Amino acid sequence: MALTESRPLALTSGDVDTVYKPAGVFTRPKSGATGWKSWLTTVDHKKIGIMYGAAAIFFFVIGGIEALLIRVQLWAPRGTLLSANLYNQVFTMHGTTMIFLVVMPIGAAFANYLMPLQIGARDVAYPRINAFSFWAFLFGGVFLNSSWLLGGGADGGWFNYAPNNGVIFSPTNGIDFWNLGLIITGVASLAGAVNLIVTVLNMRAPGMTLMKMPIFTWMTLVTQFLLLFAIPVLTAAQILLMMDRLFDANFFNVAKGANPLLWQHLFWIFGHPEVYLMILPAFGIVSEILPTFARKPIFGYPFIVFSGIAIGFMGWGVWAHHMFVSGIGPITVTTFALTTMFIAVPTGVKILNWVATMWGGKLQFTSPMLFSIGLVTMFTIGGLSGVTHSVAPADTQQTDTYYIVAHFHYVLFGGAFFGFMAGFYFYWPKVFGYLLNEKLGKANFWLMLLGFNLTFAPMHILGLQGMSRRIYTYDAGYGFEVWNKVATIGAFILASSIALFIFNMFYSKSKAKNLPAPGADPWDARTIEWMIPSPTPEYNFDPIPTVSRVDDFWYRKYGETKDGKLVRIAATDDVVQKLSDGKHIHLPSPSYWPIVLAFGMPIAAYGLIFNMWLCLVGGIIIVGGLYGWVLEPPDDPEASHDDDGTDTHASDGGDAAVTEISGSVDQPNELDPAKEAETVG
Amino acid sequence: MPRRSLTVRILQVVTLVVVTFLFAALIAAAFFNDGRPLTTLSPSGPSSASIQKLVLPVFAIAGVVFVLVLGAVLTVAWKFRSKDEDDPEEFPEQVHGRTFLEIGWTILPALILAGVAVGTVTTIIDLNRKEPDSINVQVTGQQWWWQYKYDVNNDGNFDGPEDIITATEMVVPAGRPIQVTTTSNDVIHSYWIPGLNGKRDAVPGLRNPLKLQADEPGIYRGQCTEYCGLSHANMRMLVRAVPAGDYDAWVRNQLKDHAAEPTDPKAIEGKKTWLALCGQCHVIKGVNDVKAKTTPVPLVAGVAPDLTHLMTRGTFAGSIFNLYNPTDPNDPNVLLSAGDVASAGNPGAALTGGTVATANVNRVTLEAWLRNAPAMKPMYPQGGRGMPNLALTEDQIDQLVAYLETLN
Repeated sequence: MALTESRPLALTSGDVDTVYKPAGVFTRPKSGATGWKSWLTTVDHKKIGIMYGAAAIFFFVIGGIEALLIRVQLWAPRGTLLSANLYNQVFTMHGTTMIFLVVMPIGAAFANYLMPLQIGARDVAYPRINAFSFWAFLFGGVFLNSSWLLGGGADGGWFNYAPNNGVIFSPTNGIDFWNLGLIITGVASLAGAVNLIVTVLNMRAPGMTLMKMPIFTWMTLVTQFLLLFAIPVLTAAQILLMMDRLFDANFFNVAKGANPLLWQHLFWIFGHPEVYLMILPAFGIVSEILPTFARKPIFGYPFIVFSGIAIGFMGWGVWAHHMFVSGIGPITVTTFALTTMFIAVPTGVKILNWVATMWGGKLQFTSPMLFSIGLVTMFTIGGLSGVTHSVAPADTQQTDTYYIVAHFHYVLFGGAFFGFMAGFYFYWPKVFGYLLNEKLGKANFWLMLLGFNLTFAPMHILGLQGMSRRIYTYDAGYGFEVWNKVATIGAFILASSIALFIFNMFYSKSKAKNLPAPGADPWDARTIEWMIPSPTPEYNFDPIPTVSRVDDFWYRKYGETKDGKLVRIAATDDVVQKLSDGKHIHLPSPSYWPIVLAFGMPIAAYGLIFNMWLCLVGGIIIVGGLYGWVLEPPDDPEASHDDDGTDTHASDGGDAAVTEISGSVDQPNELDPAKEAETVG
Repeated sequence: MPRRSLTVRILQVVTLVVVTFLFAALIAAAFFNDGRPLTTLSPSGPSSASIQKLVLPVFAIAGVVFVLVLGAVLTVAWKFRSKDEDDPEEFPEQVHGRTFLEIGWTILPALILAGVAVGTVTTIIDLNRKEPDSINVQVTGQQWWWQYKYDVNNDGNFDGPEDIITATEMVVPAGRPIQVTTTSNDVIHSYWIPGLNGKRDAVPGLRNPLKLQADEPGIYRGQCTEYCGLSHANMRMLVRAVPAGDYDAWVRNQLKDHAAEPTDPKAIEGKKTWLALCGQCHVIKGVNDVKAKTTPVPLVAGVAPDLTHLMTRGTFAGSIFNLYNPTDPNDPNVLLSAGDVASAGNPGAALTGGTVATANVNRVTLEAWLRNAPAMKPMYPQGGRGMPNLALTEDQIDQLVAYLETLN
């Protein structure tokens, strides 16, 4: 370790001669606390995952209201609900919200909650950084949306092309909010990416080699690598834009010789991998669900994994297909047309493997299964319309029309969001300890499928018959009326299906009291997260299992004969883990500092927009937060340990940087046994 | 967990029926392109036709693949559904994968795509081939209208005294290739006449080529398709393809100026107002073009629509309003909807410099525009982007219209 450490490392009990107490050392909050305050200081990957999901659904409601405003405005020619100015803000914020504050964080929610469970880890590698990622995302999202109350939202589109994003063309602060807000959420994504990559690579249960990982974990790994390389490109572009807008720099000032295509290249080098990192987590989720309800293994595990990796690599070579009409020249257009065409191959492989997984199975049409099949079919439409864009000459007709709007909603809603809905229904009992109502869930699915298709399918024809994107009004006589009405009706059906989902959460919770608990394994599932009690205990696994093959949990229940016949070898109740007191398990202690550190960033960002003195305040909070973070003791005073102060269940402790400094600074190492008994995981 | 529920079953059937009808209706709709002036599915020029020729088979392949995948999913879902009487402990055959199938469905799509790739590359080459004997027009976008410069004498310079500057509408001879160069004076716009070719962005500082050609005389509408700020939706344009003879007459008229004083006393007063107010940004050749070359225009884009031959155009204000009321609704030149009046926009004889049919001029909209332009079309005049409210009196408006009506 490169850190110079004046304290002795690895104190053993009784060795403490001098207690080192620098200024500013705060005791950590107590583990095992409940109540709303415990959520503010938690470093538990499960609580953080839940908070990601809850925040994303909150932002989803905001983005959904924006979508409905758009649809009402376009109900008839010359809509008057929104002014041109307001409409431009609404569609910009709709796109920005849905991408950065809904789809990405729902992916993060599943990755955070599930991935450590799927690999049999106690927590992620850097629990405090994980908490920091969440708070930075939340504060960034709130900061971004606070623009509505402070002079109006960004009005340049989610892609904010230069030079329309300059002060001359967008004189309000909206784009500054967009810019700084997304820089903050970018910090969150980047910290999260490093964290989750380290977790997957270093903290798998014994025996779990890479090719024995569940597919969702694989897709999470690919996604986090995409984030790791994509986000910095966007952040770099945004810092250039910030310099232009706030400090009169000239990176995108055409009058001073700038080439505005610079922004487009930077934005799409981020923006296209972004598409794949939004869809891959959903692909991972359905790859878990389809085999569970087909009652047979995923077809072609290595092909599903490697096609995901192939998408991850090829996703970097297709960005300029967003720029076929920008004037990048016929050679470049040809190159990117071809790369774009061939990224359809690994995507197609996935679709066909899913169909083959279902083939020959005994399909149980539960809600998660329905949503997964929904993804397979709806995403296929989005994928095929994507192939028509790769035909560059055709794209010159299609781009920036509603055909594109239809395409990416089939990919991101029909693909990613249907996958997330499947995941919500599938994992709900594991997370909250009760099943969502199946009848409502099925109604939810059919209503969503209906609303989704009514909303977005007509946009294909609207686009091909000439309706441009991002127009707040259209005139009668273009033949746009009928399909816009259908789309608007569909949008309200879609909204009602979301409302039904939210209702189902509360309805099922209220009914759960009278129903038997779902138990560890309500679906007769395959991967090891289903062998622990529901809801997941704070310590996850006790003991951590040793993994010997893909779908390890399944093969603890069933054995396979040579001719592919499955026989039960153990009752589920005998192989699932029982709730233990978790006393001997050392979990990372909560911390005050991640939320403090994250809170400094929006303050500094407000300062950049309104008053530089606020930057000083934000800076002090950030530096103070870092200071507190670094000096914080590794454990709270009552943290659980084995009696001998060691913990054989590795993969715990504080952040990696302090893991080796076991023993606390201001506490004697040996705890009062009576006191220790109070702390129960 | 109730296995059957009537409500869910009804919802399921309704969804499947509605979605099936929806898809069928959408496919049928693609064949009805009448009354859809911006459709990409009914090409009127060689470039748009070669795009159409390329994309139709791709749509067909995509459609077949979709039907196959959907059919496979539905068949599998039906055939392999679990039944109530099934023993839950009896499992299907545990197949982990088949390598030859995997290789097959990796190679097969790759081969289909390779075929599509060949067509794509040849079409790209075709679309970028320069045509001999084409007319060179520079199209410049600015918030929120299009300017056209014709290199009439073909010297490679669009700003010579022999060249034409006009706005909003591009007049071209039918059957002759037009080599367009797009550029911009402020933000990025995109020039798109779907009937004639795909779009091409107008990027400040870049000069992008685009071929246009209309096979038949007619009006080909377009819409700016790169989001360009406040009034992006209101940035439209049209190509007016006319017979070759009319085009030559149009060119001869465009080269004239309006140096001669108007005769109508109202128009004389109007010209004074025009010079004092409008002339700060707009230009009329022979009136203020010399002075305008040395006086900076108080606009971000640095230019406002040239008004020298205003009345030869059928539309104004980014082609969202008609300059003329309808005379004959069956006139093939009649525009389908432009602005707040039902249709029309045919300059008639004025197109080639003939008399302006003042009785047909759409005075209501024109006067409303002069009264308060930003109320008619969202603009940002306080930041030098768009036309301000000039606070004209009704008399001044009357006189201005009288003057503008002389600009044939």
